[in-house]
Amino acid sequence: MGKINVKVCLGTTCFVMGSSNLQELIETVPAKYGEAVEVLGVPCLGLCSIDWEYSRAPYVKVDNDVVYEATVEKVLSAIERKLGNE
Amino acid sequence: MFIDVDCSQLKKYNQNAYGDYFVSKRYPDEGRLIAVLSDGLGSGIKANILSCMTATMLLKFVECEVNIKKAAEIIMNSLPVCKVRKISYSTFSAIDCDDDGNVKIVEEGNPEFVWVRNNEIMVPEFQEVVSKEFANRKMKTYKFKVEKGDRLIFCSDGVTQAGLGGPRLRLGLRREGLIEILKDKLSKDNKISSSELSKYIVKQAKNIEIDGKPKDDVSAMVLYFREPRQSLIFTGPPYHQEKDPEYSRIFDNFRGKKAICGGTTANLVSRELSRPIATETTISIGNLPSCSHMEGVDLVTEGILTLTKTLEYLDTEIGNNENAGVKLVKFLLDSDCINFMVGAKLNQAHYDPNLPIEIEIRKNIIKKMAKVLEDKYFKKVSIQYM
Repeated sequence: MGKINVKVCLGTTCFVMGSSNLQELIETVPAKYGEAVEVLGVPCLGLCSIDWEYSRAPYVKVDNDVVYEATVEKVLSAIERKLGNE
Repeated sequence: MFIDVDCSQLKKYNQNAYGDYFVSKRYPDEGRLIAVLSDGLGSGIKANILSCMTATMLLKFVECEVNIKKAAEIIMNSLPVCKVRKISYSTFSAIDCDDDGNVKIVEEGNPEFVWVRNNEIMVPEFQEVVSKEFANRKMKTYKFKVEKGDRLIFCSDGVTQAGLGGPRLRLGLRREGLIEILKDKLSKDNKISSSELSKYIVKQAKNIEIDGKPKDDVSAMVLYFREPRQSLIFTGPPYHQEKDPEYSRIFDNFRGKKAICGGTTANLVSRELSRPIATETTISIGNLPSCSHMEGVDLVTEGILTLTKTLEYLDTEIGNNENAGVKLVKFLLDSDCINFMVGAKLNQAHYDPNLPIEIEIRKNIIKKMAKVLEDKYFKKVSIQYM
């Protein structure tokens, strides 16, 4: 199985809606999963402009799965699901 | 040529107001710049009022090309009279110059300016003008042409008299001492900006003073005629998406420093130019999203939040961290001519009333930023809406 890519949207909407609080992922994920999962901040996933009516920012992508209203817990469980641990 | 102008000042020791006054204005349509440095009688508030009145009035007179003798007389007649000395007085240096290097200067009472070319001191010709009404007001007028790389340094007597009466320099720094400082600094750093050079002169003057306490107001105004440092900021996606390739090409072909402010904008440039975006392994630095990187682009930041913070820094003072706003401020202040490409497409999500903070319209932020950059930092700014 390849590396799991976690992309935290750092676009304006996501940042003010809470992606600024996801810094913890950058520290906890490598400690927990080592090389198997990589977390990066990305300029903009472009999801708020499609999905804006529902205001579900901040968005995080775990590979191609979108985590809406992302929190550290939600992202960690999405990673767990991907790894087949759940 | 671009005229890089700036002034640094220090207050007289124990005073709470500057007694010297600097004012400068650019006229972009004519490629013209006027700058005035005035030193008011005495120090503190009184001197501040005199020098401020002199400088602002003189700027207007020079702007309208009023006869300088007449202008100086009007100013002298308008200044409030000092209760103690029963006189009203202020000295001044005013320069009116343009992008082609044509320079006109009028000086009264301030130390003679210094003209530096290739680290040599140039000696310009001048004419003396005497006021009929005020016989003690002898003005010197100069008219000459500068070349690219030339510098003109003006100062108040707080610089040339620094250290006066001290054990090292009984007669103070004098013009000769200033020239020595200038030559030494310019031989080591011949591309130094006017802002840095003026700060350096003032700092040296302060160091020469006994106990580092200036006994007079200290001001150094520097003009540097040079090749403009161009920069381009691409922010916001174009209103018509089909124009993305065209604007990305314009951005790519620009000769100068480049920045992208906006996640969507970064993505579209990356897509059109087939250049990947590399991100940092941090989410946030100093309450702003961290920067990304793209080959051929000097700075890539998030959009509205970073621009809003940058405007705040430009308006007040620069933040004490290394966030994207601080980086953008440095990027802007390191440029002479700043070009903005502003995409008009709005992201509806930004105007959701549920967002915890109010997000301003990009166009408005850029408009305000352009005004601050022009008025406070004397930059040349152009904005293209897309």
